[in-house]
Amino acid sequence: MANVLGKRYQCETCGTEVLCNKAGEGSFMCCETQMKVKEVKPLPSSD
Amino acid sequence: MNTVNFVNIPASVFPDQEIVVFGDQRLTYAQLHDRVCRTSAVFKNLGLAQRDVVAVMDTNSEVYIAAYYAAAKCGLTFLPLNYRAKDPELEYMINTAAVKVLLVGERYHEQIRRIRPRLATITALLSTGAPAADFPALRKLTERVAPDETDAEVEDDDVSVLMYTSGTTALPKGVMLSFHDFTAYVTANVEMADGSDRGAALVCVPFYHIAGMVAMMTNVWSGRRLVLMPQFDARDWLGLVERERITHAFVVPTMMKQLLDEPSFSKTDFSTLTNLAYGGAAMPLPVIRRAIKAFPKRVGFVNAYGQTETTSSLTVLGPEDHRLEGSPAEIELKLKRLTSIGRPLPDVEVKIIGEAREALPEGQVGEICIRTPRVMKGYAGRSDDALLSDGFRATGDLGWTDHDNYVYFAGRKDDMIIRGGENIAPAEIETVLVSHPAIEEAAVIGVPSEEWGQTVKAVVALQPGKQASAKELEAFCRARLASFKCPESYEIVESLPKNPLGKILRNELRARLTSAQG
Repeated sequence: MANVLGKRYQCETCGTEVLCNKAGEGSFMCCETQMKVKEVKPLPSSD
Repeated sequence: MNTVNFVNIPASVFPDQEIVVFGDQRLTYAQLHDRVCRTSAVFKNLGLAQRDVVAVMDTNSEVYIAAYYAAAKCGLTFLPLNYRAKDPELEYMINTAAVKVLLVGERYHEQIRRIRPRLATITALLSTGAPAADFPALRKLTERVAPDETDAEVEDDDVSVLMYTSGTTALPKGVMLSFHDFTAYVTANVEMADGSDRGAALVCVPFYHIAGMVAMMTNVWSGRRLVLMPQFDARDWLGLVERERITHAFVVPTMMKQLLDEPSFSKTDFSTLTNLAYGGAAMPLPVIRRAIKAFPKRVGFVNAYGQTETTSSLTVLGPEDHRLEGSPAEIELKLKRLTSIGRPLPDVEVKIIGEAREALPEGQVGEICIRTPRVMKGYAGRSDDALLSDGFRATGDLGWTDHDNYVYFAGRKDDMIIRGGENIAPAEIETVLVSHPAIEEAAVIGVPSEEWGQTVKAVVALQPGKQASAKELEAFCRARLASFKCPESYEIVESLPKNPLGKILRNELRARLTSAQG
């Protein structure tokens, strides 16, 4: 699946995190596996 | 990650989206980005190098926001100064932080001029508004330079913001918050702007407060229009909610009360407001109960508890906990929880420890300890905030937890009263006192006693037009508290001394009492 602008991705093997600031057709790979989207857990606050 | 990306990235994708509103100034992402790049060029022309310190002494404005992001862009440390600070405090903060460039609002020119001879590290003073002979206007300088397009390569661990605590204790302490602390908080809690309508946030807390700085970052990153007030005013606040179609806002308890008392409250259109958060100091139960009744049902209240040292919120009590609906038993439980500070956020662990640092079971009062990836780097120039061996930080706040992991705040550890060997948390007694129908606010302090070491004294302010005698209050407490916790004396006053956030100044109360006795 192509990377999505503004999403954070995490490598489940080494813990590296990357942030996509321009999306193309590719998808992030790290430690020879595809990185997983790290979901935001929105605060129930003014943030 | 450098926090300047909170502007850079959305500005590259949604340049025309409006993001900052201050008075008649309305800036799109592209315009904010341009201001940031020009301010950054001015900083470099003044000779500032990475990790130097730039400070601002001013009320909130769009200039303030551009100055923070420009500082981040250059890899500088940004110090938002408390504009209510007195000369000696201000001198202390500027000198211990070794500030090089100081941006000053017009109304503070005279104060800075007065202490200028004792500020050894300052190399340049600039005015954020109109110029003066010794304060050239930042605006003029930004108009003359070419925008700086480069971003400093910062380390996650570099200090982005140095923030002196608003605390109620002695000298202010400089909390060092890194680029990582802010990016961890912001990216974990809000989604980046995506061009959709994310509403509008009204920011009335000063940027020298952690809630203000965090709001500056979360809203800019998430594309929620940031509407600024230079300083809080209840009538203006209500007017802005209506005019700017505000969806989100944060207030401190004192502001909440002023809003409820403002005559134009009942005529205000709150139809867009969905989220009203409060924090910064303990919220008196009568005030939040009044607010729940007075605001429309669709407004979700949120109580946020946090510290500057932990980059803002640690626990939150969400909107569901504020809806006083259900069976009588459910309502009773909700009323009890309304006196709590809610549950820990997903990236926060809480434990309560005793005197020997042992973990305490639920229901027992001890020191609140937290573990989160966004604990400050430390206090500037001090080494007195060591983490516990297991990575937890002792907050200096007292509290207890219930069966469902709600955390209850029981005051500052320093305020604990020890009467004949019994520990008494003032907040527990204050909670009982403010549940009395005539009491507006209450503070409980320990007074020296030859017999007991300390005894308990209650200082209370009554609601307008209400009456209550010391004798009546004594009977009220006796019916609700263990006898050793009941105040031995009561004093009824007009109002309690508070800091600008609404925290009760117990030191001042104690001092007042001592001088009255002396």
